[in-house]
Amino acid sequence: MIELKNVTCRFGTSVAVDRISLTIETGEVCVLVGSSGCGKSTTLRMVNRLLPLSAGEILVDGENITTMNPEQLRLNMGYVIQGTGLFPHWTVARNVAMVPELLKWPRQRIDERVQELLTLLGLDPAIHAEKYPQQLSGGQAQRVGVARALAADPNILLMDEPFGALDAITRENLQLEMLRIQRQVRKTTVFVTHDIDEALKLATRIAVMDQGRIIQHDTPENILRRPASDFVESLVGKQDRGLKLMSLRRVGDLMQRYPQAAIPEPGEEGVQEDDSLRLALSVMLWQDSGELPVFNGDGAKTGVVTRERIFQAGA
Amino acid sequence: MSSTWSTSDLSPPNRVVSVLALSALVLVWVLNLGTILPNRIVPGTGHGLLSAIGWPGAMLVTAALSGCLLIALLPLRFRYVSLLILVSASLATLPLLLEVFAARHLPENSPYARSSIGSGFWCLLFFLSLMLIEIFGRLGSGRGLQLIVVAVICGSWVWLFQGDGLESLSLVREFNARPDKFEQALWTHLALALGAVTISAGLAFVLALQMIRSVAWRRPVLSVVSFLQTIPSLAVFGLLIAPLSALVEAYPVLQALGIRGIGWAPAMLALVAYSLLPMVRNTYVALTEVPESLADAGRGMGMNERQLFFRLKLPLALPVIVEGVRITTIQAIGLTAVAALIGAGGFGSFIFQGLGQAAMDLVLLGALPTIALALLADALLSMLAASLRPTPATA
Repeated sequence: MIELKNVTCRFGTSVAVDRISLTIETGEVCVLVGSSGCGKSTTLRMVNRLLPLSAGEILVDGENITTMNPEQLRLNMGYVIQGTGLFPHWTVARNVAMVPELLKWPRQRIDERVQELLTLLGLDPAIHAEKYPQQLSGGQAQRVGVARALAADPNILLMDEPFGALDAITRENLQLEMLRIQRQVRKTTVFVTHDIDEALKLATRIAVMDQGRIIQHDTPENILRRPASDFVESLVGKQDRGLKLMSLRRVGDLMQRYPQAAIPEPGEEGVQEDDSLRLALSVMLWQDSGELPVFNGDGAKTGVVTRERIFQAGA
Repeated sequence: MSSTWSTSDLSPPNRVVSVLALSALVLVWVLNLGTILPNRIVPGTGHGLLSAIGWPGAMLVTAALSGCLLIALLPLRFRYVSLLILVSASLATLPLLLEVFAARHLPENSPYARSSIGSGFWCLLFFLSLMLIEIFGRLGSGRGLQLIVVAVICGSWVWLFQGDGLESLSLVREFNARPDKFEQALWTHLALALGAVTISAGLAFVLALQMIRSVAWRRPVLSVVSFLQTIPSLAVFGLLIAPLSALVEAYPVLQALGIRGIGWAPAMLALVAYSLLPMVRNTYVALTEVPESLADAGRGMGMNERQLFFRLKLPLALPVIVEGVRITTIQAIGLTAVAALIGAGGFGSFIFQGLGQAAMDLVLLGALPTIALALLADALLSMLAASLRPTPATA
């Protein structure tokens, strides 16, 4: 758990972060969102003490971070930045092994861990381990960046616009990867982005920041349904909210399930249980159909979702 | 364009090599290949290509150069491999021209007579070397092949010069008159140049670190080392004589160390002063240009400043620092020759003696090894810098 209590950060006379308080529960993904210069990155960088606090205090699992050795603190926090920050003179394997090496793990354990992590991030160790960062695509490099942050199995993950420099398709893929990995490893994550859609997709709770203050701290659904101010309302897109809410809800929650999963007919098209209602609606509009078959992860047909149900449930 | 020309393994004609070969061909016919001198001082009589080595030799030289010209222009497979073989064979056997020349023209039973290398020969050597460099570039060959070819050529030269046919060459005579002095000059020269480079590298490293640590040092250090660079070298050597003499006078201990107003001490001081600018600038720039995002990532992952320096900044800066060492070394080797004026020794002493005695070949005995040392240092340090480059060149 990370607690920020009345945290302030000043650079000279300007106030970058103004008396914010925020509690991030263990295992949740807290996304700090806001336009550039709103203090979100500054807040993140105070958590691992890359920036000093001007006032207030930050507690990690109840312990005040200013009493801890900064290097020790950071070794237990994975850190992912925009543009990866991979060391160009180190191979992928060595980059991933950075923190375990700093912690002086035995060689064999490091090697095993590197293999494990590259596999987790969908990179074949046999192909990529000995490459240098310049030989990777942007998406691959950022996967390595995430693997490096997870290497020593830290409790906390700090991500500073990690996918900001990637193209839309790669970004989308990495967001899905991150959701998948987060389900597996359950890290307490602070994630900074200026992209509200990214925030809605990834967050357990979102903290909307503006001019160094937290305007609203709530679940994605509540941020959409009950924006605390005009600023938040315009950030989430006033007119667009209905569809955005639908993109938060799974098809699996609204479908009519068969008593027993069936084998799909060949060529039958539909949606996955984990897909969003927004996607299901889009497919229906495109195919001009009132209902769609729903498949589970194994490809078995588990039920149907109908247009009526979706409209009934509403936004 | 016909199909034979556009076949992919046929490279387009090479203009550089053909122009070089043509120039060499013209100059080797126009200029004197060698000179015969009745003794050390008197100017001798020059001999053009034909007179120097006769029809067979002249034809051979012409054939080799025309061959280069044709291979460079005609549509051929393996153009650069054939050129490489032809040019390096020509370079390796070049001293044979001097042997033939001496054998044909040196008067019998005149012990002071000597042969001297003419401008035609130098042109030949120069243009063939340029062709070799161009061919290396076109072949895109690795350092390995280049080293082997250069080693074969150098080996051949050493072997030919140690053999019998060339002892009448005045350059060889000058060497044979003072082999001990030559060796001594070599070591003095190396000790002065490399010593100065080592000291200034250490000093520059400390200064650069200090400049990074505190802004207050930045401008003064850069101004001082830039200022040192602007004083003419001869002036620095001269200017140091008086203060050093006074110092030694005041502290006899220094004299026991071999420090005097003239000699190696002022030379070393001046060389270090000159070496500081490229060293300090390269070291400082290299260390400060490591991207801040990388340092941020390293710091954020839990590296302390020491680890950041040794694992990130220094490895990334090293190729640029070595580049500074390379420039400085070449410069120091050249400047050490001038330092002979204040009695520091080294190859410069031959140059200035030769100038004093109007014996041009003694000047060459000093100048040629100086050039060779500079080229050697350049090659070795370039290789070192290349091997230190962080990653294999990609993309």
